[in-house]
Amino acid sequence: MAFLRRRKQSFEGGGLVLFMDVHDAMRGERVLKKADYAVRLVAPPPQLRKGCDLAVEINLVEQPGIERLLREKDAPYVSVAPLKAGTLELLEIVKVTDFGDWIMVMAANMKLAFDKGSGIIVNTSGGGCPDIPHLHAEMIGKKLTEAPRPKDVGFTLCALMLDRALEESLNLWQGGNQP
Amino acid sequence: MMLIVGTVPVKGLPLTMGKVGSEGEFLVVDGHPVPCTQGTGAMIRAALVTTEYLKLEPPRVLVAGDTGQGNGSREIYEYLIQKVAELSPEVLALHYCLPDMALTRRLCESVRGCAKRPMMIADAGSMYAAKAAGLALEFDIFTPDATEMAFLADPEATHPAYIARHLFDTDISQTPKLVAAAYEHKDAAKLLLVKGATDYVVRSGDILATIAEPDVPALEAIGGTGDTITGLVSAFAYAGLEPQEAAIIAARSNRIAGEFAEATPATRVSQVISQFPIVYKEHLCQWSGVCYIEGGSND
Repeated sequence: MAFLRRRKQSFEGGGLVLFMDVHDAMRGERVLKKADYAVRLVAPPPQLRKGCDLAVEINLVEQPGIERLLREKDAPYVSVAPLKAGTLELLEIVKVTDFGDWIMVMAANMKLAFDKGSGIIVNTSGGGCPDIPHLHAEMIGKKLTEAPRPKDVGFTLCALMLDRALEESLNLWQGGNQP
Repeated sequence: MMLIVGTVPVKGLPLTMGKVGSEGEFLVVDGHPVPCTQGTGAMIRAALVTTEYLKLEPPRVLVAGDTGQGNGSREIYEYLIQKVAELSPEVLALHYCLPDMALTRRLCESVRGCAKRPMMIADAGSMYAAKAAGLALEFDIFTPDATEMAFLADPEATHPAYIARHLFDTDISQTPKLVAAAYEHKDAAKLLLVKGATDYVVRSGDILATIAEPDVPALEAIGGTGDTITGLVSAFAYAGLEPQEAAIIAARSNRIAGEFAEATPATRVSQVISQFPIVYKEHLCQWSGVCYIEGGSND
């Protein structure tokens, strides 16, 4: 298949990494660009301004991978926020469904089902980001306590929500009568 | 031609396009094996099983390996932006990709340049990007689940992880309210198939049908059973059914396949998909007029 050259194009990220000072913002941008993330330096809107008048716009869906990279590279930042007003907080609540031998935990668009007796993950479902089918293959058949944490190996908000479902499943499992 | 587009969790798989076939547990595209698991793989397999039953040309697929960093997603978008007019698919079904608003906008511009506009279907990350970019009306069919319906109803959200709590708290019976909100903000495709305890088929804000039987609650827990519905809708639309009819038959087929598979939360999606030919043999003639003749072909 022919190699396609990517043309320079506009960017619509939907999220901002906020910094205390300009130096940190420029360092954060360099770290992210070096890792091939599509980012750009922008002026944050006044309601989101934390310390300085420079922020890095990111694809909000990539928030977990970007925050992990900044931490790994010791690149200080204050927080990540969606650009649109009214949606500043990640969804925190989960829903639990009892299927008899199994429990399903739902966090936003992600669901995880595990066997009550063995604590083995029997399914994950939902989501739409490309790390989710990979995590599905990596997690199924493993005990809740031994499965990889999506927040550590995934890159997207879908993975972060799957991690929330895993965390709640661990709470339920460890608070129950597991062997 | 029906073209299914999406990433697959195969590290190192290059951008690959071709007719899809199957070998045992795997799909095969241009000699590359692709697992038939949650995501684009399950969607493709469901569509392939359906086209095989209907004796139609198998889907062509455009896939690339991507485990979350987005490189395969971007390759797919860039290729499609350049080639969609030349490929000129009748049905274009977009699935698991890293949501990218700017690339989706460029893709929609390219689609407008097609001599004949394809039927545009989106689910998963492709649907997230279309809604977040304000491009939902460019699409003919979205297939959200209940939480994704809340996402479409929240004009501020660019991903389901950021929807307003009161919208996440609603149950499936509140779907009509969410549907109305999504259409009010122009954040819904022309037709919605909302997947849940009750499936809703909605066109331009009007609820055309609800499907609640058979009730197989475990389907919600099985990774890939939403993807199969999108594959079925795409295949039935490609077969010439009206979008709403394709959606209704897809929803019914998925439920009955789940019942035939005696689905539990531990069931694999491949076990559900394997039931589709049996479901079609028993029901498709009555539902659609597409009938199976023993020992012969379908008509």
